[in-house]
Amino acid sequence: MDPYSAEGELINIHNHFHQGQYQEVVDFDVSSLSAENALSARVLQLRARVALGQAQDVLADVQGETAPELQAVSALAEQALGNTEAAVKSVEKLVQSAADNATVQVLGGTVLQAAGKSEEALALLGQHQGNLDAVALIVQIHLQQNRNDLAVKEVAAARRWAQDSLLVNLAESWVGLRLGGEKYQQAFYVFEELAQAPATSSVRTLVSQAVAELHLGRTEEAQAALEQALKKEPEYADAIANLLVLSVITGKSSEELLSSLQKADARHPFLVDLAEKSDLFDKAATKYKAKAAA
Amino acid sequence: MQASSGMLTKFESKSSRAKGIAFHPKRPWILVSLHSSTIQLWDYRMGTLIDRFEEHDGPVRGVDFHKTQPLFVSGGDDYKIKVWSYQTRRCLFTLNGHLDYVRTVFFHHELPWIVSASDDQTIRIWNWQNRSLLCTMTGHNHYAMCAQFHPKEDLVVSASLDQSVRVWDISGLRKKHSAPTSMSFEDQVARANANQTDMFGNTDAVVKFVLEGHDRGVNWVAFHPTMPLIVSAGDDRLIKLWRMSETKAWEVDTCRGHFQNASGCLFHPHQDLILSAGEDKTIRVWDLNKRTAVHTFKRENDRFWVIAAHPEINLFAAGHDNGVMVFKLERERPASAVYQNTLFYITKDKCVKSYDFQKNVESPTLLSLKKLGSPWVPPRTLSYNPAERSVLVTSPADGGTYELVNLPRDGSGAIEPAESKRGQGNSAIFVARNRFAVLNTSTQTVDIKDLTNNTTRSFKPPVGTSDIYFGGTGNLLIITPTAVHLYDIQQKKTTAELAVNGVKYVVWSNDGLYAALLSKHNVTIVTKTLEQVSTLHETIRIKSATWDDAGVLLYSTLNHVKYTLLNGDNGIVRTLDQTVYLVRVKGRNVYCLDRAAKPRILQIDPTEYRFKLALVKRNYEEMLHIIQNSSLVGQSIIAYLQKKGYPEIALQFVQDPATRFELAIECGNLEVAVEVAKQLDRPKLWTRLSTEALAHGNHSIVEMCYQKLKHFDKLSFLYLTTGDNSKLSRMAKIAEHRGDFTSRFQNALYLGEVEDRIQMFKEIDLYPLAYMTAKAHGLEEECQSILEATGLTEEQLNLPTFGAPLTPPKPVVPTYKANWPTKATSQSFFEKALLGQMEGLSLEEEPAAANGLGEAEEEGAAKRDTLGEAEDEDAAGWDMGEDIVPEVEEGFVNVESADAGGAGSSEADLWARNSPLAVDHVAGGSFETAMQLLNRQVGAVNFAPLKPRFMEVYQASKTYLPASAGLPPLINYVRRTVEESDPRKVLPIIPRDLEYLAANDLQRGYDAMKANKLEDGLKIFKGILHAVLINAVGSDSEVAEAKKLIASASEYAVAMSIELGRRALGTPDAVNKNPQLLKRSLELSAYFTIPKIEVPHRQLALLNAMNLATRSKNYNSALSFANRILANGGASKILESARKTKAQCERNPHDAVEIEFDQFAEFEICAASHTPIYSGTAYEECAFDGSKYHTKYKGTVCVVCEVCEVGKHGSGLKLFA
Repeated sequence: MDPYSAEGELINIHNHFHQGQYQEVVDFDVSSLSAENALSARVLQLRARVALGQAQDVLADVQGETAPELQAVSALAEQALGNTEAAVKSVEKLVQSAADNATVQVLGGTVLQAAGKSEEALALLGQHQGNLDAVALIVQIHLQQNRNDLAVKEVAAARRWAQDSLLVNLAESWVGLRLGGEKYQQAFYVFEELAQAPATSSVRTLVSQAVAELHLGRTEEAQAALEQALKKEPEYADAIANLLVLSVITGKSSEELLSSLQKADARHPFLVDLAEKSDLFDKAATKYKAKAAA
Repeated sequence: MQASSGMLTKFESKSSRAKGIAFHPKRPWILVSLHSSTIQLWDYRMGTLIDRFEEHDGPVRGVDFHKTQPLFVSGGDDYKIKVWSYQTRRCLFTLNGHLDYVRTVFFHHELPWIVSASDDQTIRIWNWQNRSLLCTMTGHNHYAMCAQFHPKEDLVVSASLDQSVRVWDISGLRKKHSAPTSMSFEDQVARANANQTDMFGNTDAVVKFVLEGHDRGVNWVAFHPTMPLIVSAGDDRLIKLWRMSETKAWEVDTCRGHFQNASGCLFHPHQDLILSAGEDKTIRVWDLNKRTAVHTFKRENDRFWVIAAHPEINLFAAGHDNGVMVFKLERERPASAVYQNTLFYITKDKCVKSYDFQKNVESPTLLSLKKLGSPWVPPRTLSYNPAERSVLVTSPADGGTYELVNLPRDGSGAIEPAESKRGQGNSAIFVARNRFAVLNTSTQTVDIKDLTNNTTRSFKPPVGTSDIYFGGTGNLLIITPTAVHLYDIQQKKTTAELAVNGVKYVVWSNDGLYAALLSKHNVTIVTKTLEQVSTLHETIRIKSATWDDAGVLLYSTLNHVKYTLLNGDNGIVRTLDQTVYLVRVKGRNVYCLDRAAKPRILQIDPTEYRFKLALVKRNYEEMLHIIQNSSLVGQSIIAYLQKKGYPEIALQFVQDPATRFELAIECGNLEVAVEVAKQLDRPKLWTRLSTEALAHGNHSIVEMCYQKLKHFDKLSFLYLTTGDNSKLSRMAKIAEHRGDFTSRFQNALYLGEVEDRIQMFKEIDLYPLAYMTAKAHGLEEECQSILEATGLTEEQLNLPTFGAPLTPPKPVVPTYKANWPTKATSQSFFEKALLGQMEGLSLEEEPAAANGLGEAEEEGAAKRDTLGEAEDEDAAGWDMGEDIVPEVEEGFVNVESADAGGAGSSEADLWARNSPLAVDHVAGGSFETAMQLLNRQVGAVNFAPLKPRFMEVYQASKTYLPASAGLPPLINYVRRTVEESDPRKVLPIIPRDLEYLAANDLQRGYDAMKANKLEDGLKIFKGILHAVLINAVGSDSEVAEAKKLIASASEYAVAMSIELGRRALGTPDAVNKNPQLLKRSLELSAYFTIPKIEVPHRQLALLNAMNLATRSKNYNSALSFANRILANGGASKILESARKTKAQCERNPHDAVEIEFDQFAEFEICAASHTPIYSGTAYEECAFDGSKYHTKYKGTVCVVCEVCEVGKHGSGLKLFA
């Protein structure tokens, strides 16, 4: 039986993980789990710790482990620490030996995608056997590649066999936010439900809700949700970035937020992109010049 | 003169005796009333019976078509006159009244009248609109045989067996029945009188003339269409011509010739001829002026009863005992010859003229041939000798004559031929520079003559020779009724022969390699050695043909211009409203002679046949060119391409997916087939695709098809054959999942998984099989457990002997890894060229290389190699080709990979694509294009000040959605079109839109003004300008608002910078001490009041100026400022101050310091120099904000917006798409 299904032992810890409640995952009582699920639970906890920024500890934790799952976790930790090359190398090795391992697929796919090897990631993830984690990842990769059409297909396919799963809902909402129109509202409902219930609320879900609201043009509500998120975790870069975007849209000053984003995550895509565009602007602007000096 | 056999019969019908005939004025129809009571409607061009009308009882003697309405009238021996509609095909009504046979019925040419003649001795006029009898004309005292209206005047002419012809005046009738129009008193009286007299006698229709001269009854009578002439035919076998004036009528002459009763006669509509028909089985043609017989056409057995002329064209019809015949009096084909760019032709009045195809001009008459043959017989052929500039003309007159005449050197010479050589002959053509051939059909000889008309040699052509044509140098084409011979004049023998029936004309192609043999219904194309290339059949008569320079034959039928390629493919080029004779085709122009022998130019669209020709010649560049430059679509071309075996080309034209699929399969273009199949997603298509892909060895497509079709078994087998074990095991899992045991067994077998098989057998309780399997593979443990499970021992079993355990073959080559080898697809160069269109165009400049390619194409599949060879042969030409091929190939790979995955374009890219607004490009991160747009729109050159705005807009465009742990957030694009989900319409959000700017920034700017924080204000207004420059609005009215905002911000910026400039002059003390600075300061303060800022703010500026002026004792200026303040009104404090100043200044209205400020002049302030620009002087402005500059500042950056170049005019700022 699928341990992640509604009746499975791992449903809660799995959901916590995907709702972004990483601390809850780490604190989850795994002692009562059956032996066969212990490893999966451990992997989830390790992944949560990586997400919480304890990659160094995780790396030490799985040092010397031979199980492909744990090796994959180690690669993930490496990746999180910025050792992309090492991570990719170890993932590639894992793929050779244990490409059919679900954890290897998901974590390997994550590492490969993070390293920009989308094709390889998709190839690896494509081998999954009814693994929603992989589906979600595939959807995300498609979206990152701007292949909305493929993402839509993937979600539609998954929805057929995993109707109510959290991950399918999330993935569908991701796609919805990309497609827009009516889909904005539907995505918003999913995120709102997660973000507003105390049992499932997390910084990530709050930010997701805010993003949906922002797309719907409801700036005040978005502002409130983002502030709520930042109260929980003041250093959460995505929240800061979105708040920054929001303040620009509403015509407010964004200087302060920019510096706090710099502090929180200097490598945030927003900043990277902005710097890139700034250079682009300067370069493009040099092409034009007035005929005569003033 | 001779009884010409050459009657040009166009149509004949077989029926009982035809008594009445009528031509339809427009359509090729003839109405025939028969003695058998039937009325027939024939299409004489097609030779088909269109309709029959049978309601009369007994013979129908008279019929007539209405000129404009879809009506006809008939009268018969049942005393009835019937009016019919040929549209609804029924009799509309019957006019009763006649008391005996009705002989003729005719419509009036304009009034709704019918005139009828009857054996009851009356002529009656009927109104067919109100179906009443208008008038009965009595006077004849025997059967009235014929009565007709005059074509123009109010006259009727009638013929009777009482031997008289009568002319009736019906003007009274017309007056009585025409609408009363502006009638004077006299008219009224006259009319009343007329009516009165009417009661006593027949003044409606009075006999004007009684013409007596015939000795027997008169059968027919007719008016001349234009002249005051009448012709009649009588049982005295005479045709009599009568003339009339206003007051009298008399007999002019008699045409004698008929030796039996003359039954009908008429005037030729256009020529001075009379036609008559009689019971002596002849039709005779008479010269109207000389009253001599011109032609006699005799029929063997049929007596003629009636004759009729077509009102417009040169056609006649005669009814006889066994039907009706439609005929022409003379050939209408003008004799002509083409030499290079000149057409020589003979006009209707027998003049030779030429026509220049290049200048499109007709020459004056070159030569008159009036003396050739009979005046009524036009020349038949014209042959031109360019070396001698002479023409050879033949005429059928006098049993066939020819005449050789030199054309005058210039067109201005005498048109009468100086000297001519003539002789007997039916056909005469030039065969060499100084020789011509003459055929004499009666003696069956061909004479070759020199230019002095001496026979140099003579020979007997094949039996039955009817015509000769030029057959290439030194050869003649000799036409017999059943064959064409190629005759060598030198050797005096036939070198080739081709059996073709009834050839009438031969048309040589411009290069002399091919000839078209035209017969009535066939076109046969032959080579110059008389080998048949193709032949085609037309149901409609073929009239003429001419060759295109490219080797396409254009031919005309009665109603179409058509084309045929050498391979026999043909089609319609255009329709014709009248018959023409083609002489030449050049580009889109077809030159032809019409029946009046006038040169005409017809416009045609040669696209279709050029395309087909290019296809045949495999001239792909040409095809490409045609496809790109003309709208060549439609089912016909697709069907044509498919039929001709070019499905891959047809594929390029087809939009309809189903057809596309068919074509793609046909030409083996799997990419397209897959694409379409995905689009349609129908099992049938997938099945076909899988078959095709299998044939191609393209197993990845096969796999996809099977997946789509859910053909698990086939899929498994496919994986087995390609050696894809991992997928095979997945299939096994799927089978397990589906609970399909057969499939599971199969997969296990393929995989060689014994355990799985045993497990499966156990699951379905087939323990014996499970045991056997285990045993066969030596799995003893398993055997034991099975035995235990079943409670049996080995001894109890009776086992068959086992063979060696089955092991599936191990794949030697991992075929599944590569989709190879696949069958080479028949993807043509053409297709590639279409894909890489740009290069395709450059290819055209290398026709030599391209031709090489075309030939290489024919080799089909092995073309890649051939290409290589061609490349070696013609390396220079191929440099271009080499560039193309790999590039296209690359394109293909891209397409494929995009299919499988790969990155698409982001929404940000779409924005730039969806919108012409700079702001959308900025939001999409496409700064270069945004700058380009701004540069073009408003001449923006200095972008640095816009950077904050660029970054602001860009920053607002994206959100960051946290998704899977460990991966960067998902980027989504914020839209201003929230409701929209069509990717082609989405547009980005714009921070600080127009509304926001007006509500916030503008107010802050005003506040800054009021608070005298001019530096801040200046910055704010410039910021507004920048924000509007990079912005978008939702409607045209908002565009106007934006313009207003720009103007306002610009004025404020100028105003503030003037005042700031004044303050920068120095402290008040320092300024006061320096007279120059003081002057400038006063000027600037005055200028500060000029920009069109809001009134309260202007008051501030005026107050400032007034105070400064007062302080500097410039009372006059101060006074003017005070006056302006008072005029503006507003805050009382300022007004009070102004009033005081005014009072003070009025006492001494003088300026202490002379300044350049004329309060009465119209001027604006130069934004750069802060000096006046008086109206009328030239100035430059900023295309964006409209600030004005002295001309010397042209080309500098505008100091107001700091972005645009002064004086550079763009297309205007675009804020709304």
